[in-house]
Amino acid sequence: MTETETVPGVEAEAESETEAAPASGRRIQQLLFALERPYMGNPYYVSGNALHAAVARRVGEATRRALHVSHGVFVPGEYGSPTEGEISLRGGQKLGGMLPDVEAYEDLFVHRDPAQRWLTESRPREAANTHPLQRYGHDGRVAFASEMQVGRPAEKRAASRRVPWYVQCYVHADDPAVLPVATDALTGIRVGGARNFGFGELSVVDTQVVDVDALAYGALEAADAHELELVSPFVLETEFPGAADQSVPWWWAPGKRAATGELRRRTERLVAGEDVFDLETVDHGQVVPYAGADPVATAKNGVLRVGTHSRFGFGELRVRPARGSRVPAWRERRAGGGG
Amino acid sequence: MSTVTLMLLRAVMVMRDGPADAGRPVTNEDPDAVSMTVAYRHDVHKLRGRTHAGAASEFRGIPVNQDVPLYADADAALLSRPRGEPEQTVPAHDSPRRLPLLDGEVTALEAVVGDIGDAIFDLVRIDDPAALHRAWLDASVPALFSESRYYPFTSAKYHTLLVAALLDNYRAVSPFGDVYLSVSTHAGEADPRIVPHRTVLTTASFALHVTADPVGPAARIGSRPTQCFGDVWARLPAVPFDVDARRCWRVLDGQLRRLRSWSTALQYIEAFCNTVGHDDAAATSTRWWA
Repeated sequence: MTETETVPGVEAEAESETEAAPASGRRIQQLLFALERPYMGNPYYVSGNALHAAVARRVGEATRRALHVSHGVFVPGEYGSPTEGEISLRGGQKLGGMLPDVEAYEDLFVHRDPAQRWLTESRPREAANTHPLQRYGHDGRVAFASEMQVGRPAEKRAASRRVPWYVQCYVHADDPAVLPVATDALTGIRVGGARNFGFGELSVVDTQVVDVDALAYGALEAADAHELELVSPFVLETEFPGAADQSVPWWWAPGKRAATGELRRRTERLVAGEDVFDLETVDHGQVVPYAGADPVATAKNGVLRVGTHSRFGFGELRVRPARGSRVPAWRERRAGGGG
Repeated sequence: MSTVTLMLLRAVMVMRDGPADAGRPVTNEDPDAVSMTVAYRHDVHKLRGRTHAGAASEFRGIPVNQDVPLYADADAALLSRPRGEPEQTVPAHDSPRRLPLLDGEVTALEAVVGDIGDAIFDLVRIDDPAALHRAWLDASVPALFSESRYYPFTSAKYHTLLVAALLDNYRAVSPFGDVYLSVSTHAGEADPRIVPHRTVLTTASFALHVTADPVGPAARIGSRPTQCFGDVWARLPAVPFDVDARRCWRVLDGQLRRLRSWSTALQYIEAFCNTVGHDDAAATSTRWWA
């Protein structure tokens, strides 16, 4: 992949998955926001572009130029325990409302999977993880409520319970000196539609800095075959001025992909001020075989994202051992899962 | 039973016996002798608010509540509910009635049907298996009930259709690992393509199938049955509605990626499509989902 050009505002990441990693110092800052008001934007996630635009008004020029922002993933504030990695929780903590310690690569993704498979089975997990929909305004626009009420039948009102919603994202920077971003300044940012009317207001509830190079990658090193999960869409074609189109990376094993069908594509829209640009993307959520030679380097690059528009959250990849089950057979219920 | 069939069947059972299912015995049942009607009648007790232990073997002269062979019932249950001892997940809700996810309103049974027994009887007395399948696809009464009062967001209707789909695949000696979720659309026609027993959901514009013989976009469900609807949905090469055209489809797509229980997810699609509709003109006029 050599046709990628660096353009203003759009980062062209190195396409080669075998590019040598810096010795250390690739840090990300995880941010967990509480959704304070209903949200009316992109239903899949809060785009990194929207978060970048909201944050940019609150930080200095140097930080604004250096900052790369991931997509914000919606998380229900509910009890649960992680299914992967070695995270240990103090009993009774709501995993959805905190950032768990990150020691292994897998820990980075606890909140970044829409299925939120850490949710405990002793509570109505599907209800907690389904966005509560609300209609607003004279035209009845649909918004995601800032909390879910479980047990909503009218006669059971007294027994209803509220599950708050959170948004998890992370930032990294060309200039490591700008991290961590002071989070006091980020409380009160607003994202999505109707934000000038108070919708989509976020407040910071938790933040932590993680050194990506210092994590444990043992599960990837132990596996002899790997696959890639697209955590966020990968931009192939863009209307953004000056940004070049890209093809699907060779290390996504295109030959093997044919057996399971074509990659699903989807159009995204990038809003920059008054302008809206269409992006043709490979949709997120898909899994492809990995044909590269260095899965650990690819894993690290995938956290920092690849392709054009990676500055705005696109091109986030997760490397998995191939054939690894995503759902444990019959997990022991751990302390912390009850409530 | 022919020797070849028996050997194939044994091979299927051996392949399905992973470490987690080590206790599962090799079956001697002849797949050709299995009647599909059993699948649609096996959970009548749930619609009548009875436990499995307290279930009658007949309902108005129709044999019901029989065990479904080839583990189709057990496997379908694992698609929508956790394995092991059930736990009460909604403490205030101790009822066979399903709790809806879309709007939170529990529909009164009386508002839907006059006599619940008559409605159930109309649904299970059909003898022709293909007609029985069609009746369940279009049925609304079983959707009023959950699979289990411990998991009130699951759907008895879609559990039953999943049991039938798995049973039909197993009868054709297709192990679970060979089964796909596949989608089909028929633009401009009233009904999308319906495959007897294997179509698990129909809406006005698309259908979903659980089948080892997919036609069109499909994703393998997995090596063994477990709650993973969102994973399979996210891996589909194409979804049956236009997410680029309307935000409402992106909302639905996003919700489906979050749901792991199969019967809950299928029921959510049904409710969502009934609410939103497929008529673009109507949708535009209300702009509820603009």
